[in-house]
Amino acid sequence: MLRLLLLLPTRTYRTEAFLEAARALGVEVVVASERANALAAERPDELLALDFLDPAAAAREAAEFARTHPLDAVVPVDDDTTVAAAAISAALGLPHNSVASAAAARDKHLMRALLARAGVPVPRYTLASLDEDPGAVAASVGYPCVVKPLFLSASRGVIRADDPEALWVAVTRLRAILEDPEVAERGGEAARHYLVEAFVPGQEVALEGLLLKGELQVLALFDKPDPLEGPFFEETIYVTPSRLPAGVQAELAAATARAAEALGLREGPVHAELRWNEAGPWVIEIAARSIGGLCSRTLRFGTGLALEELILRHALGMEIPSLEREARAAGVMMLPIPRRGTLREIRGQEAALAVPGVEEIAITAHPGQELVPLPEGAAYLGFLFARAETTEEVEAALRKAHRRLDFVIA
Amino acid sequence: MPETGETEIRSKVQALLDTAINPAVAMHGGFVQLIDVKDNIVYLQMGGGCQGCGAADITLKQGIERMIREEVPEVTEILDVTDHAAGANPYYSPSKG
Repeated sequence: MLRLLLLLPTRTYRTEAFLEAARALGVEVVVASERANALAAERPDELLALDFLDPAAAAREAAEFARTHPLDAVVPVDDDTTVAAAAISAALGLPHNSVASAAAARDKHLMRALLARAGVPVPRYTLASLDEDPGAVAASVGYPCVVKPLFLSASRGVIRADDPEALWVAVTRLRAILEDPEVAERGGEAARHYLVEAFVPGQEVALEGLLLKGELQVLALFDKPDPLEGPFFEETIYVTPSRLPAGVQAELAAATARAAEALGLREGPVHAELRWNEAGPWVIEIAARSIGGLCSRTLRFGTGLALEELILRHALGMEIPSLEREARAAGVMMLPIPRRGTLREIRGQEAALAVPGVEEIAITAHPGQELVPLPEGAAYLGFLFARAETTEEVEAALRKAHRRLDFVIA
Repeated sequence: MPETGETEIRSKVQALLDTAINPAVAMHGGFVQLIDVKDNIVYLQMGGGCQGCGAADITLKQGIERMIREEVPEVTEILDVTDHAAGANPYYSPSKG
């Protein structure tokens, strides 16, 4: 039986989907998290603790484990585990992205530098230290600009500034995020720096893809119909298929393929954020992982294959029956946190579910939880999912259902 | 399934919870309760630090399920009936990054 090492951070949303996919494939699973699971002592052959912040150490420990428990694939499920997965795969001689390419996709400055060098269109940018005068740093970029941490996800710490005063406020907020002890530990030296980049106007999309020996297969292109103009960049609705013209979609796919090549990514899932305007496509980011949160529930391939099963099949060298997404339109709304406070109650779920096209409401926040909105927060209240014949119908269903939900926050 | 079979499953699962699973998850402020056994399906509920915990799925599917299946092979399915969204004090809260 094939044995798979899944790197699952303790706080990831992706556990259920990946474990279900592994079960469907009938493969043996070893789960590694950054902290020991409560049952780790009872199940040492199946539950590991690996330091994802130290990929070399994680690789040594995993290689030692693999001497008695041979592994056929290592799959990272989100950003925090991609570099460790590459290091472990290299130590075990398994096909995977190189450590350098995974690290480049995790470091937004290095990513920008490699993309720019390869001629991939990216915003003007500069690297800044928290110790520098932001105004002086931003002079080379101009206004409006965006400050962005080098390593965080979900738009956390990403803030637009239209003038020097707004920039000073933005950097002050970003500094507080980066100096949070947990964030500082995760980021290390990267938590002392940030990017300042030009704000690129235009429509934003997300491309979900799979790299097969360096060739990009586009799995889905999502429109993000809510304008992302700042000052914060809260992601809400993703709908697919995209309504952009076929020629534009092809250019966005080509830009993503060039970005992956520029970083040296060759295998496995990629999730890219791009913008489109009169100048053409702009690569905002590309990550060596699949779509985050619970959003993968929008995607089904062939006769109902989940995205996670497709990823595991690829990693394990198993046949992939289809890379074709289902014909129906699908979408997700990441339920934004409207304001800081304590979540007391969620009302209107039945009414929201009654909206035609809405398939599921997954509430992931819990009563009593302290809610922290962007740019400081990184979690959502939950996720709404819809399917319909057209992208327009999906978007309308998500908006209508969201209006029926009432989050009581004290 | 005769009732005696279910009684036996219930007894074995409860013993496993008491002797191995709950002492371990208690270290994270959690506990697991046996709610029911019906047609060889075991219904469990997680509480305390397990309820709403980002790692609860790992604990359940990679730990508890396997332990039950090994100890009580006649069990066909293990279902988590926990309302994780109502968990007020999860050990790890999920987050996108």
